[in-house]
Amino acid sequence: MPDALTVSMRASHALVGIFLLAAIAFAALGAALNDTFYLRLATEALIFGGLALSVDILLGYTGLLSLGQALYFGLGAYLSAVVLMAVPSFWLALASGLAAGLVLGLLGGIIAMRVRGVYFALITFGTAQVVAKVIYNTRSLGASDGLLGVPVIDINFGFVSLSSASPAGFFLVVLAVIVLLYGVSAYILDTPIGRLLIALRANDKRVPFLGYRTATLRLSSFVFAAVIATVSGTLYPMLRGFVSPELLFFSTSGNAVITVVLGGVGTLVGALYGSVMLTLLKSVIGTWTEHHLIVIGLLFMGAVIFLPNGLIGLVRPFIARLLARETKP
Amino acid sequence: MPTFKKSIFAALLATTAATATHAADPVKIGVVTPLSGTYAGIGQQVRWGFDLATKQINASGGIMGRQIELLYEDEEANPSVAVQKAEKLFQVGKVDFLTGTVSSGSTLAVGQLAERAGKLIATTVSFADSITGDRCSPNVFRVNARAGQQSAALAVWLSKEKPKAQVFYLGPDYEMGRSTVAAFKSSAEKVGANTLGEVFAPLDSKDYTQYFGQIRASRPQVLYTSVAGNDTVRLFTQLQEFGLLNNMTVVGASGTVTSQNIGAIGKAAEGFVTGVGYSTEIPSPENKKFVEAFKTAYKADPDLYGTDSYGLIYAYKAAVEKAKSTETDKVRDALRGLKWATPQGEKTIRAGDHQAIQTMYVVRVANGEFKIIGQVSGDDAIGADTCTRF
Amino acid sequence: MLDYIQFVLAPQVVTGLAFGVAVILVALGLTIIFGLLDVINMSHGEFYAFGAFSALALNWLGLPFWLLLILVPLLMLPVGYFVERVLIQRVFNRPDRHVTTLLLTFGFGLVLEDAFRLGFGPNPYRPDTPIRGAVEFFGIFLPNYRLFLIVFGGFVIAGVALIVYRTRLGAMVRAAAFDRNMAASLGVPVAWVFAGAFAFGVSLAGLAGVLLAPVYSVFPTMGRDFILMAFTVVIVGGMGSIAGAVVAGLFLTQVQSIASLYISPVWTDPIVFGIMVVMLMVRPQGLFGRLGHA
Repeated sequence: MPDALTVSMRASHALVGIFLLAAIAFAALGAALNDTFYLRLATEALIFGGLALSVDILLGYTGLLSLGQALYFGLGAYLSAVVLMAVPSFWLALASGLAAGLVLGLLGGIIAMRVRGVYFALITFGTAQVVAKVIYNTRSLGASDGLLGVPVIDINFGFVSLSSASPAGFFLVVLAVIVLLYGVSAYILDTPIGRLLIALRANDKRVPFLGYRTATLRLSSFVFAAVIATVSGTLYPMLRGFVSPELLFFSTSGNAVITVVLGGVGTLVGALYGSVMLTLLKSVIGTWTEHHLIVIGLLFMGAVIFLPNGLIGLVRPFIARLLARETKP
Repeated sequence: MPTFKKSIFAALLATTAATATHAADPVKIGVVTPLSGTYAGIGQQVRWGFDLATKQINASGGIMGRQIELLYEDEEANPSVAVQKAEKLFQVGKVDFLTGTVSSGSTLAVGQLAERAGKLIATTVSFADSITGDRCSPNVFRVNARAGQQSAALAVWLSKEKPKAQVFYLGPDYEMGRSTVAAFKSSAEKVGANTLGEVFAPLDSKDYTQYFGQIRASRPQVLYTSVAGNDTVRLFTQLQEFGLLNNMTVVGASGTVTSQNIGAIGKAAEGFVTGVGYSTEIPSPENKKFVEAFKTAYKADPDLYGTDSYGLIYAYKAAVEKAKSTETDKVRDALRGLKWATPQGEKTIRAGDHQAIQTMYVVRVANGEFKIIGQVSGDDAIGADTCTRF
Repeated sequence: MLDYIQFVLAPQVVTGLAFGVAVILVALGLTIIFGLLDVINMSHGEFYAFGAFSALALNWLGLPFWLLLILVPLLMLPVGYFVERVLIQRVFNRPDRHVTTLLLTFGFGLVLEDAFRLGFGPNPYRPDTPIRGAVEFFGIFLPNYRLFLIVFGGFVIAGVALIVYRTRLGAMVRAAAFDRNMAASLGVPVAWVFAGAFAFGVSLAGLAGVLLAPVYSVFPTMGRDFILMAFTVVIVGGMGSIAGAVVAGLFLTQVQSIASLYISPVWTDPIVFGIMVVMLMVRPQGLFGRLGHA
């Protein structure tokens, strides 16, 4: 008998399935119409969706609000840019992002893990600010101008090769990577380890009584989230051809948090839908008024107050019920 | 997903537009500029400059009979957003030309996008030397004076008015701040000034008083600073509070004191000297007309950003008329070597690096106004062409 | 050596003191709100800005500076009360209160900042101060306004401490912070106390805004100036501890002030942040512990 978590997870999978189908259809349409901008905008939304996913793993499952997740995203982006300018290999860039995520996640985790709650939020915030400032002042990393000239690369899958300059092609590559990241996250969170993390969020004082060490659990979750963020970050320079320190600034971390809240904390898929929604919102509102922060700020506040489970939270229970009905013996 | 509908709509629009008559087609210029965030003040001047020029040109028939249409997007002072919005303007807005970026990071990033998209951009604000120097691009043009021109003008004044001056440097700690200080330091030392010391404060510092001990101890005649915006307000008013302005002349970069912050700085700005490409006091009749029109329309004085932006639209008009087309390659050729009239006098775009050459003015703040106390010819101020890409 | 102390070190300490008083005023409000309501007010910086902008606007209408010092904080009391009742209370009783109030006030801060830009434009302003001139003592130069800041700020801080520790009102506040339910059953009007404390906290921030406007100027993003430092002071001093805010505020600003003599100022922020991290790992309740729990 599947429990509530598994049921809601399955509903999330269904929603991801819908997302995937819609995305593929979108790519096909875009390619047919020879569109560049909307496909690239959507690709960017997906990449930042990966960052939001990382925030949701920490916030929605482990109960830790990270206000500096952009640190890992940005560092992943910088590393990818440096790697690609030396060796234009997609797989090398991804691999280096993965490795960096593990190392950086461990480093960051050791500092952040001793604390929880609001202290955790402040430490992640401060760490990101400090590192961002260091990069901002480092000439060899381009200082405040960032690094330009990341080449267009060819992504070789063996049977087909796609170019990062191809709007639809690269969109599909990024879609695949992000959905894969979602898949891995969803899988892990549905295992006993994942349930422990959720237990941590619910009541972290009790978990040791169950025989588990909270510190190791939290550290693993942190490292995992860091890797997701770093790997997402590696995709950015492939899309835009450059990186800049603003990728590590609080505005990037803040946007990720807004995305997760709007989409739905603790739903994982909310990060993806939320990112698409926020990108669309910003694009539309931005053309209409330069005071878009007021609109987004109000929407965000509204979501926090009235929609604590985000937009996905509204939809998912229906789908969960649908699925439950179908699987009834 | 709404993005489907948008793509379809855009496609339909494109096909109908293609069948419409060409003469009625507006010339579209995209403007990606910070309308929110720290640089919003500059973005506002930039927008005013563009709007005024466009209004005037459209009123007298437009460019080759076509009206100019400006499409604005907010870059939020973030190169990532700038690139995204620039791509929107290029691909969806189908602009013929793009401008408006303020920070050098945004200009460089959008420049790279322009190259890859086969379009041209120009900046009217970014003053990092690298944009028309070692990081020049065949698709990027600059109509405003760069850091090298600014410090050349100021250095000339320094050598005349305060030979062998004792100078202390205070700059904001980031790439632009440091390189501006370094550039002026080398020009100043070449004309005999003596460097007493330098200090770099974090950007957005609120309290500069922690550096005053050092400054006071070294007893400088001249303080050179490259802070800007709100930082200038705080530095200058605090300097005044602590009596440091009594025996010291403050000089600085062009962007340090502008019409946006001079109101807040108040009396503390008195006597500030800088080398800059524009002053409302330039005595030419073109400038007087321009200042009048600007003040009437926006109830504020134009500053260098507004004026350089104003001048760009006229440059583009001249180039398109010379090339008889808005095609990238033809306009690029037309812009190279272009001479055109601006409120600051005649400017020339150097073909070798796409940098505008113009007379540089030495300006001193007196009674809240930017009085001209000297000038340096365009050729003397321009410096070498270090662009090797084309 | 004596020369060094007199002409380099001492002035640095004194100017650091003026800055320190400013930081303490901002941190005081934050620590009261956190200590009592357990609410992380990410929009605290924007209330500081609110005070400054209100002073600016009222000054334009002709009101003198002295009047503004009293009027603006008073005007901000109902504003703070309203914000607490209408916004904070909606998420207050959720299990993840810390996170939701942080997020909510973060969003509110965004809205406020853009509202300032909408109302006043992006450029800076600087209201004039009626106190001019400077004093010089023992070779240390100090503008009169900064001296006024130190003295007036000191009185305000002392006043707040007095209210919290020596009055019945303060006792109610501390009781509610220690054990809300017990305090309620003893007749403390807890909801009113909470809203009032929040109002008082943001009012203090607003007062800091008025006081500092002539020194640091007024512009839409000014709220970001102090927020990290204020949070650091609150954490190092202890959430909700008045004494903690004072001691930590003075200590951290002095560290920053003196350190900038020897190392590049860009590193003073990381150092301060480092102190916060160490404190969180070694003694998370801060130097003086929590309000009501000391």
